[in-house]
Amino acid sequence: MNHAQTGTGGIWEVFRQEDDGDPMVHAGNVNAPDEELAMHYAREFYGRRGESHRLWIVAREAITELDDPDLLKPPFDRSHKKPGGYIIKHKLDAAKQRAATEAGE
Amino acid sequence: MTTARVELEVPVRDALAGLLLSVADDEFVIGFWDSEWTGIAPMLEEDVATSSIAQDELGHAKALYELLAELTDDDADRIAFGRETDAYRHAALLNHARGDWAFSVARRYLYETADGVRLASLARSAHEPLALLAGKMRREETYHLLHADAWFRRLADGAPEGRDRLRDAVECLWADAQDVFAPLAGEDLLVRDGLLPEPMHELHAAWLARSRPILEPLAGDLADRRPSADGRTRRTDDFAWLHGEFTMVARSEEGATW
Repeated sequence: MNHAQTGTGGIWEVFRQEDDGDPMVHAGNVNAPDEELAMHYAREFYGRRGESHRLWIVAREAITELDDPDLLKPPFDRSHKKPGGYIIKHKLDAAKQRAATEAGE
Repeated sequence: MTTARVELEVPVRDALAGLLLSVADDEFVIGFWDSEWTGIAPMLEEDVATSSIAQDELGHAKALYELLAELTDDDADRIAFGRETDAYRHAALLNHARGDWAFSVARRYLYETADGVRLASLARSAHEPLALLAGKMRREETYHLLHADAWFRRLADGAPEGRDRLRDAVECLWADAQDVFAPLAGEDLLVRDGLLPEPMHELHAAWLARSRPILEPLAGDLADRRPSADGRTRRTDDFAWLHGEFTMVARSEEGATW
């Protein structure tokens, strides 16, 4: 870590895991001159009450950020890419009605 | 421990009580000195860390006072807050006011290294409640030492002003630091029965072997000094002031329950 040597310091993002196997969740951040003190401060801020099973401490500058709306919120309907896939409820209803009408004929 | 009280001969029990009191008072007094940094430490994160470590030390003191209170059929709060200054048995190292940041770092480094050696021994004490407690304390003190060491190296390897202040503090505290290992009353009985697995002079030698190589590149050759006989009974005006602070609330309404 470059600034660990220069001692200019920086912001460290802290992620915590409450129990073994839980997802790592962003807890907050600490200001620290280097990785060693960042670890101490993360422990004091996010672990001193025994509330964390594991912490990840990441220099903010090591994080690659993507927040371009053209890439993340494109101006077209992309609902077909959602995990739910196509919404077929209304198609099903129409098919059932059609089947009922045909049976009634 | 009711059983311990029954099993131990009176002179051994008294010596054990003296040992417990010495460790408890060390943790209690350094906890109060370091808590003085709350609100004024070098940066917010360090403020929280120092305050939390100081609280840890007070927590260790509480556990030790409770152990002592069981042994002597006393009350932990009374032992902690109900004594006059001359009845405290902390090492002379802890008689000094907190000083500047380098002074507090130097003292914590000296104390944590000495305490580490002492706890490693106490974790093997034949007095099981003490061995268990010392084992638990060690898990936390390992982290305290890492924190003190991180700051010690930062100042020692950093800009000249910090380095000079740290060196001055080590030189100022060196003689009194030996007294963490000041001989205890009845120590021969404690060693005989395995309550204190090694005599203080052996623990002292072990501490010197570990701390000198770290301290001397900064402070130059440090004088050979033996722990002094009054190393846990000398008191100072600085401590009298601190005692006034930490007993103030307890004295405002004696015997109050909160």
